[in-house]
Amino acid sequence: MTTVPFDPELLAGLAFFQREIEGTPLRTGNIHASRARFAALTAPIEAVVGDAPVAFEHVSVPGPAGAPDVALTVIRPAAGTSGAAGVYNIHGGGTVLGNRFFGVGELIDLVVRHGVVAVTVEYRLAPEDPYPAGVEDCYAGLVWMAGHAAELGIDPARIVVQGASAGGLLSAAVSLLARDRSGPAIAGQILVSPMLDDRNDAPSTHQFDDVGVWDRGANHAGWTAYLGDARGSADVPAYAAPARATDLSGLPPAFIELGACEALRDEDISYASRIWAAGGQAELHIWQGAFHGSNGIAPGAEVSRATDAARLSWMRRILAL
Amino acid sequence: MTPVPVPYDPELEEGLAFFLDLVERIPLREHTILENRAHFATIIQPIEEQVGDLPLDWENRVIPGPAGAPDVEITIIRPKGAVSGAGVLGIHGGGMVLGTRFFATGELIDLALRHGVVGVAVEYRLAPEHPGTAAAEDCYAGLVWFAGHAAELGVDPGRIIVSGASAGGGLSAAVALMARDRKGPKLAGQLLNCPMIDDRNDTVSSYQYDGIGAWDRNNNDTGWSALLGVTRFTDAVSAYSAPSRATDLSNLPPAYIEVGSAEVFRDEDVDYATRIWATGGQAELHVWSGAYHGFSGFSPDAVVSQAANAARDSWIRRTLGLR
Repeated sequence: MTTVPFDPELLAGLAFFQREIEGTPLRTGNIHASRARFAALTAPIEAVVGDAPVAFEHVSVPGPAGAPDVALTVIRPAAGTSGAAGVYNIHGGGTVLGNRFFGVGELIDLVVRHGVVAVTVEYRLAPEDPYPAGVEDCYAGLVWMAGHAAELGIDPARIVVQGASAGGLLSAAVSLLARDRSGPAIAGQILVSPMLDDRNDAPSTHQFDDVGVWDRGANHAGWTAYLGDARGSADVPAYAAPARATDLSGLPPAFIELGACEALRDEDISYASRIWAAGGQAELHIWQGAFHGSNGIAPGAEVSRATDAARLSWMRRILAL
Repeated sequence: MTPVPVPYDPELEEGLAFFLDLVERIPLREHTILENRAHFATIIQPIEEQVGDLPLDWENRVIPGPAGAPDVEITIIRPKGAVSGAGVLGIHGGGMVLGTRFFATGELIDLALRHGVVGVAVEYRLAPEHPGTAAAEDCYAGLVWFAGHAAELGVDPGRIIVSGASAGGGLSAAVALMARDRKGPKLAGQLLNCPMIDDRNDTVSSYQYDGIGAWDRNNNDTGWSALLGVTRFTDAVSAYSAPSRATDLSNLPPAYIEVGSAEVFRDEDVDYATRIWATGGQAELHVWSGAYHGFSGFSPDAVVSQAANAARDSWIRRTLGLR
C-alpha cells in the first residue's frame, strides 16, 4: 500500500528514532533486548529534575487484589499546592518496555509551567505479566491518587489520565474501568497515539508495515505479548483493547492526537468517531506528515510546536489551567 | 431514535446564540432561500469598510468564466508592502445558495496583513438558479486566472492554496479535484474549514444535529436540494458538486480539514480525510471538542477558537513556506 509521506522537517528525527530508540524494530523475539536498550535511554529522575523547582517522592501503594504493591512517583511544584490539577501519567513502550520515568521530562515541564501535581505509575510488563496486570496496576495507582488528593494538594475533580502509545491504551482502559466500577472521577483522558485495537488490521496498519516507527510488526509483537493467544480472537475484553468496547458512552472527555503517518491512525479515528456517536466529548488531531512520537523527538519542528500547543489548549479548557 | 448530540463547549454557547440570531434568524428552507439571501447580504460588510485604513490594496476585476458561461467577478487583496509570494484563492460559504465573495475577504485580509499573502476572492453563481457544477466551475475559472496571472500579482504559482469554509470548503475540495483531473494549476494545498461535501446527509452527526445548532440537518438538506434538485442522492451527482462522491482521492494537494465535534459535517469530513490518507495522500485533521459550525469565527475569544486559529495558521505556514 502507498504510505503517507513524512513531513520533511521530521525526517532527521525519524532517522534518530529508528537508529537510537528502536534500533531493531520490536518483534516477539527481541523484547528483552529492546527492553534493555530502552532502559539505557531513560535517564534517572534525579538527572531529569536537575535544578527544576519541583519536589518528587517515590511511594508504594496497594496493588490490585492479590497482586504486589505498585510504585508511584509524585512530582509537585516545590512551593507546594492546594487544589491543583492532577495529571496521572502512564508511560508507553508497547506494554512490554519502559518504566515510569520514560518521558518524565515532559511531565516535569507541566508541573513547572502549570502548577499541576503529577503522578507517574509503574506497571507490570508483558509478556511476563500479561493482561490484566498492567491495566489493573494503573487503575490501583489512580484509585490511590484520587483517594489521597487532599494530602497531595490536588482537586479530585480535576484529575486527567494521560499516556502515549501503550500508555494511551492503558489510559483509555483505565477510563473504561473507572466508568464501569464507579471509580474515581476522571476529568479527561489524553490519548497520544494510543494503541487501541489488537486486531491490527486497519488500512493504516498496512501502510506502515516495515515503514516508520512503531510499525505494524512492532504493534503485533506488543499486542501478542500482552494478550497471548487471545490476540485477535473474539474474546478480547474492552479493558484489554479499548477498541473492543461496545459502549463508549459516559466516558470522560477524550483528547486523541497522533500523526497521519502511523499504523495506529485509523483505529484512533474510529475510537473518536464512536465516542462522538455516543454523544461523548472528544477532540481529535491528526498531524500531517507526523510519525509515532515525532513531537517529542523533534520538538522544534513547526508541526511539533503546533501539536504541543493544541494539547495544552485542551488541558487549559479541561483543567482550567 | 435521534442520537444523543455531543454537547457544546460552555464557552461557545454565547457565540452560538449570536450566530443563530444573526445568521440563521430565518430557518433556511426551499421557500426562504431568497429571503435568507437578502438577509445574509445585510450582514456582509462592504469591502471598503472591511479594508478601512488597513495597509492593503484591493481591486475588483472581471475575468473569463467557464466555457459558454458568463464572466466571473473577483476581488484581489494585496498588502501595500512586500508580498511573500504566497497566494490564497478564497471561496465563500453560504450553503451553495447564499453569500457573496465579500463573505470570504475577511480571511484574505488577515492573511495579507500577517503573511504578505495575495488573496483572490471569487464570485460564483448560486443555487437554485444555477444548480449542479456551475459554482465549482466559476471557482475553477478563478483558480485558472489566478495561476495564469501569478507573476503579475507577485505570486509564485507553486505557492497557491484554495481555501473556504462550509460550502466554500466543499467548493475548494471540488476545485482541487478539477485541477487534478484537468491537469490544471498545481495547488500547494486545500484548506477545508468545516466543508460541506456530501449531499446524502446521512451520517450519525447529520442526525445528531437535527433542529439544533448552527447549520443543522434541515439547512443542509435545503442547500443540497437547491444545488442538485432531483439528481440529489442519485449516482448522477458529480464529485465536483459533492466531493465525498469522488471514488478516487489520490494525488490531491495536501488537505487541511477542520470541523467541530458538535456539527452536522463532522463525520463526512473525518471520512474525507481518512480516505485521502488511505490513498497515500497528505491531510491534517482537527476535530475541535464541543465546537459548532463556524465557531472560530463567531466565538473568536474562546480558548478552543484560539487553538483552532493557531493550528490553521501553523498549517498555512508549513504549506506556504511562511514564517
